[in-house]
Amino acid sequence: MSRIVITGMGCISSLGHTCKDFSSKLMKGVSGIGPITLFDTTGFRVKVAAEVKDYDELRLFPEKQLSKLDRYAQFALIASREAVADAGLEFSGPLAERTAVVHGTGIGGQTTQELNYFKVYTQGMKRLHPFTVPKLIPSAGASWISMDLGITGPAFATTSACSSAGHAIGMSMLMLRSGIADVAVTGGSEALITYGTIKAWEGLRVMSNDTCRPFSLQRNGMVIGEGAGTIVLETLDHARARGAAIYGEVTGLGMSSDAHDMLQPLDKGAAAAMRAALNDAGLAPESIAYINAHGTGTPQNDPTETRAIRQVFGSHADKLAVSSTKSIHGHTLGAASALEAIATVLALNEQKAPPTANFQDPDPQCDLDYVPNTARPMPITHAMSNSFAFGGLNTVLVFSRYND
Amino acid sequence: MSESVSDAVLNILAKHTELDRDKVTPDTPLQLSGVDSLMMVEIIFDLEEHFDISIPDEMLGMQNQKLETAADVVLLVEELIQKQQTA
Repeated sequence: MSRIVITGMGCISSLGHTCKDFSSKLMKGVSGIGPITLFDTTGFRVKVAAEVKDYDELRLFPEKQLSKLDRYAQFALIASREAVADAGLEFSGPLAERTAVVHGTGIGGQTTQELNYFKVYTQGMKRLHPFTVPKLIPSAGASWISMDLGITGPAFATTSACSSAGHAIGMSMLMLRSGIADVAVTGGSEALITYGTIKAWEGLRVMSNDTCRPFSLQRNGMVIGEGAGTIVLETLDHARARGAAIYGEVTGLGMSSDAHDMLQPLDKGAAAAMRAALNDAGLAPESIAYINAHGTGTPQNDPTETRAIRQVFGSHADKLAVSSTKSIHGHTLGAASALEAIATVLALNEQKAPPTANFQDPDPQCDLDYVPNTARPMPITHAMSNSFAFGGLNTVLVFSRYND
Repeated sequence: MSESVSDAVLNILAKHTELDRDKVTPDTPLQLSGVDSLMMVEIIFDLEEHFDISIPDEMLGMQNQKLETAADVVLLVEELIQKQQTA
């Protein structure tokens, strides 16, 4: 079975438009959460989000393209261009055919959908723009990446709410291992800070109205973020043959479903995914030094995830550094597993666990070491990234330092 | 407590708990009737829609000790209606 390495990373988030911005703010624990500016929040209980800032689509894309390019697909494209340039890859000839694009999203072109339906339902508009459909479909991001970069191998989107990008990365791993492809451009994207969507999230009563404080006693919910993350995966043979710089190895994939509830998470399902990922990587629980937790900051997730980690890691749980970087970049839903995969790979490369920001007092129900507020230099050989989505769809990835 | 508010609240609680309407009284304990935090989210939505009030997030969740019985919910709704009218 082929070993798979990471040779490129790109992202856009509330921390900035590049991976470099992401990395520096992540490790300093500088949160991108702030007041919502994308719409008027008068009458909303929820007034904060982790928005992509200083963003002008007209400066980044030709106007003609924008009629077919939703904000979520723009993010997918920006992150993927950066990741592919970072990997030093250009796609032509046989390589284009041997490269896959798998990019997840929770919803897809929500801005397009919402604004256009608003027009027909309430504004008496008799017709919609002819490209409304191609602009809003949740596979548009994958299509745009393949078109823009000239990738002609298998391309599709995955969707599983907060695990969408985890499943995308997982499918990419399986394709590389099976020999269907040599390279995969994979991750996820989300842009749903819109009037209707935040209103809908507000109704769920899982949203914080100040900030995201995962695992902390004072936590009062999640904060929605937007953005995209893309990593370039290659078989080790392919990366070596072209002398590519290697960030790390993706060694384990675990997937499970709770088969329990659309909203309530189940510790058993989360634990099953973590065990499956360790098995896949061929690692003992004691090998893991750092976990990038799902850590949404809701009353329900954090104790459940803590219990699941204890079930899997036993006494080693007390030696783990566990942080939720959602406190920094928000919960980016379909992009979450991608941004958090990047955070985990950065932790391996910098030998430093990123912090859980906004942490106040410990909660007796959450009794692990959550790396409160300050990044921690430490040896990390293997690290895990957890994603546990609504509806009980779980993905866990294991990343390892690259050794010949 | 006013009759109509109480009746409407108990109707909504009966609908969500799937208890017979005549079994739901002001003394009905919420937790023992199977009201968990998710069911509470739906109950609150129905109450907000029915009475045109806004129930704050703090009234919800496992840590909340203020809503133990159906009567507590009726009281809260009455308070919020009052607040709405004087606002």
